[in-house]
Parts: sequence; structure tokens; C-alpha cells
Amino acid sequence: MTALRLDGVTLRYGDSDTAPALADVSLAIDAGRITWLFGSLGAGCSSLLLVSAGLAPRHTGGTCAGAVRALGADPHDAAGRQALAGKIGYVTPTPGVQLSGVAATVSEEVAFAPANLGWPIERIREAVPDALARLGIGHLSGRNPAALSGGELQRVVIAAMLVLAPGLWLLDEPASALDRAGRSTLAGVLRAEADRGAAVVIASEDAAAMAAVADRLIVLDQGRVALDGAPRDLLADDVLWRHAAGSTPIANLARSAAALCDVVPRSLAPPYPLTVDEGVARWS
Amino acid sequence: MTPARGLAQQAHPFTLFAITGAVALLAFILPPPGGPVALYAAVVVLALAAGVGRAAARALLVCLPLWILLFLLLAVFGTGPRSDLGVITVSRSGLDAALAQGARLGAVATASLALFASFDPSRFLDAVAARGWSFHAAYLLVATLQAAPRFRQRAAMILEAQRARGLRFGGNPVRRLRGLAPLTTPLVLGMLSEVDDRAMALETRGLDARVARTPLEPPADRIADRLIRRGLPLLVVAALAWRLFG
Amino acid sequence: MSPRLLALVPSAVAINLAIGFVVNQLGLPVYLDTVGTVLTSALAGPVAGVAVGLLSQSVRSLYEGFIWLPFGAVQVLIALLAVLAAARGGFRSLPRSIVWGLLVGLAAGLLSAAISFFVFKGVTATGVTAVTILLTRLGLTTGQAVTVSSIGTDLVDKTLVFALVGGILRALPARVAGRYDWALRALAR
Repeated sequence: MTALRLDGVTLRYGDSDTAPALADVSLAIDAGRITWLFGSLGAGCSSLLLVSAGLAPRHTGGTCAGAVRALGADPHDAAGRQALAGKIGYVTPTPGVQLSGVAATVSEEVAFAPANLGWPIERIREAVPDALARLGIGHLSGRNPAALSGGELQRVVIAAMLVLAPGLWLLDEPASALDRAGRSTLAGVLRAEADRGAAVVIASEDAAAMAAVADRLIVLDQGRVALDGAPRDLLADDVLWRHAAGSTPIANLARSAAALCDVVPRSLAPPYPLTVDEGVARWS
Repeated sequence: MTPARGLAQQAHPFTLFAITGAVALLAFILPPPGGPVALYAAVVVLALAAGVGRAAARALLVCLPLWILLFLLLAVFGTGPRSDLGVITVSRSGLDAALAQGARLGAVATASLALFASFDPSRFLDAVAARGWSFHAAYLLVATLQAAPRFRQRAAMILEAQRARGLRFGGNPVRRLRGLAPLTTPLVLGMLSEVDDRAMALETRGLDARVARTPLEPPADRIADRLIRRGLPLLVVAALAWRLFG
Repeated sequence: MSPRLLALVPSAVAINLAIGFVVNQLGLPVYLDTVGTVLTSALAGPVAGVAVGLLSQSVRSLYEGFIWLPFGAVQVLIALLAVLAAARGGFRSLPRSIVWGLLVGLAAGLLSAAISFFVFKGVTATGVTAVTILLTRLGLTTGQAVTVSSIGTDLVDKTLVFALVGGILRALPARVAGRYDWALRALAR
């Protein structure tokens, strides 16, 4: 089932003379899968998430042509936004600005959206501890969000979206403030969300982490879809470097080593190894 | 803000606002100077009984410089028949006016600082939601109270950052004025860039959903609270009638 | 209210309060407690500007006691005049900002004087009241002294506020200004 569809979407932040942030982007994203958006700085990954959520150009300024359908509704339309209330989980890399600004405790912070949506109190009382536990922050429930570290805050913000059980996740570098344990927890949560039937779309530069969890890789380059396919196939291929900043650290290492050779040995030729284990197996 | 213990914490949030509002009105309705003085005394006793005595002390500190200025402006330098007050003479009517005004300020300051000491943002938001009133207005008040310390901290950081860059803010008034733009401009521009992100976050968290918000832990609206809130307007009207026709 | 205004208003009020801290650190004898109000009025119009003004006075009153709440009327006046200034291109250049600042200072000073005299018997903030007392000793009536000291303070204060806000508005990137309906009008872009 298609959870998100973009048809011929072109987004410009300035006037018609400025280069578009997204240029004639058309794609369909299925429910129940984790789709990874990857590209160098300015490629358009964040913009694609904003347009998909109906937040750009309304909040960012600019113009947008084309059509967007998220979970069967138009997020750029007022009626569509009301229909989608609480169904899109949008997370950015800066947790501090995503707080409600009125919660005295972490529990209240996570309960903020369900309360706004008029959920029955019994449902809220059940859903909030569950969301906190899944992110491993049940012990923070009584703490003031203003007193938390960046990593703790990011988990709280994700929990505040998780509590809604959204049908569509749009995450922009959600692990930027997380430590290794936090990233592992997040990967587990997002996998479970996809298994539940949600569509999960993540913009991330962390190729090593995403290679292990993503079902599909879409590479953006200057606002256009440059590559679209299985993550492992694309990450191990030379073509990726023409459009993106690189691949996993091991693949980058292999490619850099190959560039130093006059004649590239088979052990350094694509498909590149993506993990340490694959590198050891290839080169030992 | 830590809610104070005792009666003030137990009271419904709207009751505290009603009491503060009634005190402010009565301060100007009751015949001076006895009325405001009696009101001030009553408010101080009420604050002590409700467990917010510190607010009364804080109000005293706030009002003290104003009392001194009132005494100087209206009594010492006032016009009209004068009385001896030890080493100085004061205008009799001016002294009465200073006493009345000082008591008014004291009563209102004590009541409102007691309100602030007892103010629990979460209870207030839940009380508004339970009544089905505009959550946005309540949100603005509570969000502002939470934002204020954060921005002050940011202003302090910008000040240190600019000092570290070699900007000097001392010296003559013109030089100090020049320090305004490098300090205020980054603060304001930072605020505006943050507004976009916050607006998007609030929208994705349903703040503009057209449904009634669920109160998480609505404060109990006891009989005593309802009696006080209904009785206070009657008290104010009675005082006004007495002042006008009594 | 839209999510944008719900995000903007609390931050603008916090700006009003934080700049008071800055002014204190610089040791300047002004308040500059309406920068957020004027800026919001110029960016988002009268409803938002008035909301910032009233909320600023209410929050300050919570911290210091409701005694200063009547001066919320001055904040409302400044917000409305700032909208007028924005509509008439008052922030397009520094000289225009200064002229509008002087006009708003005069209007705000007159209203402040009326509130100070009738509600507070001429005794408000320490510095202004000290000037009032000095002027009465020089022969002015209390009403005259309150008027002169209020207007004097507000002329300087509001001129600085308008000059500052004008500078900030002109420094705004077009992309940021474009998100606010009233901003482009204020800057005549």
C-alpha cells in the first residue's frame, strides 16, 4: 500500500531564478518499509521530508508545484491537515525546539499531542508509559524536560511522536544527538514501527547505521532523485559517489585505497564491502 | 516556579486568580485610607494562613522604595495644611493619600506575588482544558513563563561571546549604546529562526487540532472554591454600592 | 491562533524581558522592554503585537506584583502605533525609524503620564519618580512633573526601540521576512 506519493514536486525557497530545492520529484513510498533518503549537503533530503509533511512551503516560505498525498490525504490542504492530525510523526535533529514549551515533566511532554487530539484519558495513561519504555526512558518520566541532556531530549521527542502510533514517520537525522545505545534503540523502534505497518522515511548521513536497517535507498542529488534501489546494492557501487558524499566507512576506505592503485586489484573493486566483517572476509 | 504548600496549593487555580482580581478592585473601591490599609492587613494574614508568607515578604521589598517615594512626593513635599511628624512636617491630606496608595500597592503586590508563588502551570492548563476554554490563550501564558529564563540565559551567553570577541561595553553612554545592536540583534535573529522550527513542531503535535483538549489531571473544584469565586464578585459589588451610596 | 503565532508570541515576550537584562548589563538608563512588541507588530500585525504587549505586562506583573498591570494599556498603544509605522514604511531607514520612535515616544509618554498620575499618584519606577520629585521642587505641579518625566523617558526609550527594530528588520534575510505577511509591507519589499 502506498503511504506517501509525490508527483512532479518542485520546491523553491526563493524566487523563480533560484535553484529549486526539489526538482520534479516523483516517487511512491510503501507502508511497512523503512525508506532511507541520502545525499550530500543541499541534495534536498530535508526539503523532501518537509514537503511530505505539508510543512514546506507554508512554514519555510517559497513555492511548491506538484502533488503530494500522504496516507490518502493532501497535507498541503487545510482539510487534509486536519484529517492527518496525529498521523504523521515528524522529527528533526534539534530536539530542543520540538518541545511543547509547557510541560513540567517528561510524561506531560509525551502526553501533549494525545491531549491536544482529545484522546480519552485512559488511552493516554496507557500509551505514554509504553512509549517511554520503548525508548528506554521510563525512568525519566517525572523529570523536567529542560534539565535533560541532548540525547535524552531526542529520545523524549521521538517518544512524543511514537505515542501517536503514526502511519507515516518522517525523520530528519533523528540519531544526531543519540549515543550508540540510543541509536540501537531507535533502530529497533523504527523496525517495529515498519513491522506494525507504518511507512518510515529517514533522512540520514549515517550510511553504516542505515545500511543495516533500511529496506530501500533513495539518493537525491541537487533536488532530483538520482538513484533508487536496495541499499546494499547501491552502497557497494561506484555510481553512488557521483551523487552522494560517500558510502559506509569501510566502502569509502576500499574506494580510496583503489584510487591509489595504478591497477585496481579485485579485492578493492566494486561491489565494495560495507562492514568491518565483510572487509576482513574480503581482505584477509 | 515551585508551588507553595498548604491552602494555596490546594485551591483551584481560578480561585487564586479571582482572589487577586478582587483584591485589586477592592483596593481602589474601599474608602481611603482605612479601607486599603485594612485590606492590606487582611491580605497579609490570608497569605500567611495559606502558606505563602514569603510572597508577603517579597511584596514588602518591592513596595518599600515606592512607599518612601510616596511619602516624599505626597506627604513631605505635598501641599495643604501640615502636621508635625517629629523633626519634619507633612501635608495631612498628602499623608493620607500616601498611606492609602501605599496600602493599595502593598495589597495588590502581596496578592499577586502569592498567586505567582502558588502558580502551577500544569494545573492551570488542565483547569482551562477541563472548562473547555481557549487552550491557546493559556498556552501562551505558560509557554512565555517557560521561555523567559531560557532567553535570559541566551542573552547572557551572547554577552560573554561578544566580550570574548573583544567588544567592550563600558565607558560613556554613546559607547554603551553602540553595544546594544551586537547584543540584541543575534538574540532576536536567533529567536526568529527558531520560531519556524517551533511552529512546525507545534503543528505536528496537534496544537491546531479542532477538538477539545483532554485535561491530564484536572484540579478538583471543591465547594469552597466555587463559593469563594461566586462570593467575591458579590463582595466587590457590595463594596462599590457602599462606597457610592453609603 | 496559528502555530506560527503560538511559537512567535512567547518568544517575543521573552525578548522583551531578556533585553531588560541586556540594558541592565550595559548600565543604560532606559528600559527597551517593547522591542519584542514592536517587532511582532511589524512582522505579524496588530493582533499578535497586542498579544505580545499584554502578555509582557502580565508576565512582568507576575514576577513583580500586579501593580504595574495598568501600563499594559501603553504596550497596546505602542503595538498599534508600530503597526501604523510599519504600514507607512517607518522601518525602511534609520531616519524614518527615529522619527516614528519620537512620535510613539510622545504618545506613550502622555498615556504613561496619565496612568502614573491617576492610578499611581505619580509614583511608579524609582528613577522616573525621582525626576518627578525634583521637578515638583522646581515649582511644577505633580501632574506637570509626571508628564514631563514620563515623556522625557519615553522619547528616548521608544526612539531607541524603533531604531533597533528597524535595524533588525532591514537585516532580515528575504526568506525569513517573506514568512510574515506584514514584514514585506514594513520594508516595502
